[in-house]
Amino acid sequence: MWGSVLLILACFVALFVAFSVKDVVAMKKRGGKYRIKTTMAAYGMLAPAIVLAFIFVMLPIIYSLGYSFTDFYLLKPNDIHFCMLDNFKDIFREIGAKGDMYHAIVNTAIFVVCVVPLQIGLALGLALFVNRKLRAVGIFKVCFFAPVVISLTITAYLWMQILSPSQYGLLNSFLGLFGAEPQDFLNNQKTAMLWIVLMSAWQGCGYQMLIFLSGLTNIRKELYEAASLDGATAWDQFLHITCPGLRSTFLFIVITVFVGACRVMVQPMVLTGYQTHTMTLSYYMYVQGYTYRWVGYSSAVALLMTIVIGSITLIQRRVLREKD
Amino acid sequence: MEEILTETIATEAKRTHRRAQRSKIVRLTVFYVAGVVMALVFLFPLIYMLATSGKSEITLAAEAGSVSMFLPDFSSMSTMFDNYKKVIVSYGIWKNALNSLTYAAVVIVLNIIVNGLAGYVMAKFDFPGKGLLSFLILFLIIVPVETSIIPLYSIVTVLLQLKGTASVLAVILPAAISVFNIFLFIQFFESIPKEYEEAARLDGAGNLRIFFSMILPLSKPIVATVATFCFIGVWNDYVWPLMVLPYAGEGEWSLYPIQAVLTSIKTIRGVTTGEVMASLVIASVPIFIVYVVAQKYIVQGFGSAGLKM
Repeated sequence: MWGSVLLILACFVALFVAFSVKDVVAMKKRGGKYRIKTTMAAYGMLAPAIVLAFIFVMLPIIYSLGYSFTDFYLLKPNDIHFCMLDNFKDIFREIGAKGDMYHAIVNTAIFVVCVVPLQIGLALGLALFVNRKLRAVGIFKVCFFAPVVISLTITAYLWMQILSPSQYGLLNSFLGLFGAEPQDFLNNQKTAMLWIVLMSAWQGCGYQMLIFLSGLTNIRKELYEAASLDGATAWDQFLHITCPGLRSTFLFIVITVFVGACRVMVQPMVLTGYQTHTMTLSYYMYVQGYTYRWVGYSSAVALLMTIVIGSITLIQRRVLREKD
Repeated sequence: MEEILTETIATEAKRTHRRAQRSKIVRLTVFYVAGVVMALVFLFPLIYMLATSGKSEITLAAEAGSVSMFLPDFSSMSTMFDNYKKVIVSYGIWKNALNSLTYAAVVIVLNIIVNGLAGYVMAKFDFPGKGLLSFLILFLIIVPVETSIIPLYSIVTVLLQLKGTASVLAVILPAAISVFNIFLFIQFFESIPKEYEEAARLDGAGNLRIFFSMILPLSKPIVATVATFCFIGVWNDYVWPLMVLPYAGEGEWSLYPIQAVLTSIKTIRGVTTGEVMASLVIASVPIFIVYVVAQKYIVQGFGSAGLKM
């Protein structure tokens, strides 16, 4: 492993030297000069960040790229072979045979399609609700935001209590009042994913509410005053002032919620554990790489994920931007 | 005649005013009732957690299905904190809370120094290679980091051999660098006027002196935002510490942060729901305090993060 690290480091340094020389030459052409003392001081202060970023941010990304073409098995770190596209062939075979990878894709797709509109809609509703100058609005904001700061481990455990299959579970004991049989919500193949969607939206929407709020405060108040003088209804004002005013905020939120939703992992992990009907892509990747230690295969999944998510993000950006 | 006219006008005005007042009260009532209902939707699991943490298993079974599940049991004031005592004394959860606090403190200090220095240099210095670094910063913000958690794990265990006590470094060091925070720092530092720095330089202050005793104190909002994000991130992290830290066994001083130990408390034999809830409450209190204290900085942080797409 050290060999490859040194190789990457050499490439990195070479790239750096090349760009620095280019900068120096360009500066000379303009008749200026870099001061050696300033440069030394700059790199001295940048050194901790560069070293840490190289080891913990750049290397993992480059390795993830490289591993996906190898048969790296974590328990045999000195026995790595290039196997070209074998991992990707395995992935597509797994999809074709409707294995876990297939279910992971389907479940992630269901999750994304449900959670993105639900969470953004809730967040926008809450933001419009608290965007007024009244007493106690701050308290409401704190309440709506509370699930965001509570860790996923805690909220997931609380929801497990709520959805517990025993007759003492919160939801079951209330349903029991109406004479319903206790149900196993999270082991039910049809409803489990929907409960995960509900929980995620419930927990996450406070975050987007705050971002919407910061967008709403940037819309000029005079616009609303002028509109109500012209006799525009509240709905007209929402459609023609609020919506256009929130466009860039909306773009940011759609992309971040979408990317976040594609990476969903901890919710199914703590709510149901490794089960086919709640398997998601990130969780599949994690189990393959960490539990089964097939780092090569897991990296290939990660690479495919990054490519797909990245390209969809780019398309979203295009489409949403073009409307401007 | 004239008197009567002014009188009617006055009563009429009074009536419309009263009507407007009444409709305003109705609207306010609707607003607050809706607000309370929605707040309950967001808070009910947390209320349930607080209420349950003071109850024994017997009380819980007796209450199943009634509204008192959401209310604290005031009839047994003396045993209300038994669950907390058990969790803190027998399960030693305070050690893990202390671990979390230590990790968070170290990460906050390192993160602000490392990324702050980098942001300062990128915002105020001119040197060869700066263009490449700016490009790398923007590139690394876009690339999703979560997908590289497995390679990161292999780097930490195989390359750096961080095992045993040294694995604490595996929790702290990756959290000390954040390209996004560098980006935030650059944005903020660029708005500080050059004259301040030049004046300090004339007084003979060095680069580090200027950074620590002038730039950082001038940048309190962004420092507070970064510190808050760091605290929430480290305190709530759970997958990564479970991956890299060694399991010390029950009753031993483990290196686990509090979130990681929450998952194992559930599996201890004979643990009651009330005890688990008490440990969850202990794990959420610090984050709530930090959140309420630093609320306006979080909003600012989101505000500045929200406009950059």
